[in-house]
Amino acid sequence: MVRESGAILEARDLCLRFAAVEALRSVSLTVEAGSVHALIGPNGAGKSSLLNCLSGFYRPYSGSVLFKGADISGLSPPERARGGIGRTFQGIQTYPSMTVRENILTGFHPRMKGGVFHALFRTPASIRQEEEFATKAEEIIDFLELEEVRHSPVGGLSYGLRKQVDLGRALALSPSILIMDEPMAGMSPEEKGDLARYVLDIRDRFGIPVVLVEHDMDVVMDISDRVTVLEFGAVIADGTPAEVAADPRVIAAYLGGDAETLAEGAA
Amino acid sequence: MRPTGIWFQSYAGEASVLQTRRSRLWLGLLGLGLLALPLTAGPWLLGEMTHLFITLIAVYGLFVTVGMAGQINIAQSAFVGVGAFAAAKFAGLGLPFWLVVPAAAVVTGLVSVVFALPAARVRGFYLALTTLAAQIIFPIVILALPMSWLGGLVGMPVPAPDLFGLNLATPTGFYYLAFVFAALAVWTGFNLPRSRFGRALRAVHDNDTAAGVLGIPVTRIKIEAFFAGALYAGVAGAILAYFLQFVTVSSFTLFTSVWYLGMLIVGGIHTPLGPILGVVFVTLVQESLHTAANTFMQSGAFMGGGAVFALSSVVLALCILIALIFEPRGLAHLWHTAVTGFRLWPFPRN
Repeated sequence: MVRESGAILEARDLCLRFAAVEALRSVSLTVEAGSVHALIGPNGAGKSSLLNCLSGFYRPYSGSVLFKGADISGLSPPERARGGIGRTFQGIQTYPSMTVRENILTGFHPRMKGGVFHALFRTPASIRQEEEFATKAEEIIDFLELEEVRHSPVGGLSYGLRKQVDLGRALALSPSILIMDEPMAGMSPEEKGDLARYVLDIRDRFGIPVVLVEHDMDVVMDISDRVTVLEFGAVIADGTPAEVAADPRVIAAYLGGDAETLAEGAA
Repeated sequence: MRPTGIWFQSYAGEASVLQTRRSRLWLGLLGLGLLALPLTAGPWLLGEMTHLFITLIAVYGLFVTVGMAGQINIAQSAFVGVGAFAAAKFAGLGLPFWLVVPAAAVVTGLVSVVFALPAARVRGFYLALTTLAAQIIFPIVILALPMSWLGGLVGMPVPAPDLFGLNLATPTGFYYLAFVFAALAVWTGFNLPRSRFGRALRAVHDNDTAAGVLGIPVTRIKIEAFFAGALYAGVAGAILAYFLQFVTVSSFTLFTSVWYLGMLIVGGIHTPLGPILGVVFVTLVQESLHTAANTFMQSGAFMGGGAVFALSSVVLALCILIALIFEPRGLAHLWHTAVTGFRLWPFPRN
């Protein structure tokens, strides 16, 4: 288990506006290397907006995003993906017509070589490369326990399995950080438990820090190293799960009457 | 599904298209049969087969652009025309035919890139309109250029191809020429889905937003999809130019483009087997219609050529409708179903 310390991804004073709606008001966030960092908050608090600013989908009005100390505010999503920011999506965003292994192999695209010519003539070099990356894809399939369905088209799989494929595809990019947008929405308790273990494994075995937006409080309190709470586009609390759960502003804004039980659960 | 008892020691082996000895044997027999065909067939059948091979090459191009990448293209016939005119020009300049074919392919690919640029911004219906513009612009441009460049309204003669002194300008020669390139088209068509580029095409087809965020350069892949598809069109055009011995703009119409698309849809748009089945099936239907109409005309003589043309269009439309309603995955899917059923027999296929 490799635990580095220090900030890997930082957001500084991000402001984002959609017409008259201020989605983010001067939001700052620091993700430490080797941590699971959860973003929580009521609906419309700006959690997804913040994730999309981190992955480059939205351009913030002002403020900057720092990745490994370098300013990446001007980079497009594909450039950030190649730079090492992986992400999974809200809902289903896998490629339904392709098999599980092919979906994962698409994640290797930036690291593989060869264009139209190698594709059409299946050159020896491209066969060797296929061999090499199929082996790597199998490692991910092994990690996510997808062996049974490796050759099944993803379109026919259950919701939970598709989310796992989405995760596998993000891992194939060998990211330095993984951003997950509501990974557990719509999952059964068993699937949530599995995914929570994968998240912890990703942190511990691969040393990849994870930023996640999640609504399931039990999961957040259980697996997070750090929690940031947003409300109306502003950060109202930031700290360990226990600290956050004890924060009166959080209790007032979000956790309501459940605060005591949650604090006990986290302690 | 695969038959039982077949194991692989490498991922490349697992990705191979022909996995059983029986399938390799069948393919070998088919190849031998096609190679031996000129021994028994007359010039009419050879001409038809040559046409079929050329069409197959063009439809494989559509398979790449439309089937794999999901970028609709209703100008494939115009791209075949670009290839034909490029080949006529190069051959007229005295280039040998083994140089003319790849050169025509590359020229067509580059021309298609111009029309692929809109694909970076528009999709679906609007992209269809953009490619339609390519189809419309093609004859206008050829006719507007000076006669000495591409022949204008008259067209251009194409010198007979010869390979190291061997004259290919016979029905048998054209047949073998088209056969070799059609085989190449089939081979490359089956290679594509198993490659990095092929997977990127499918990713763009399935979900271009996610593909973009996950490190696939979507715009570039869309343009390359048109480029690769037009390479096939260019090869088809070059061979067609040699085969017809004279190229005019009237040979490359919107109708032909729609026929190409129809063949792809009927055969199965998403698998490399689709173009083969679609082209063979639609050509058979077309030819039986022609034969039937001819017999009809000789007996009653009240149907003109126009009626036959209209009738064959109606039948194509019916084929496409039937395919879309009952089997949108095309004849290729029926074939896969039959193969799976055969392998599982006597157990039911679920």
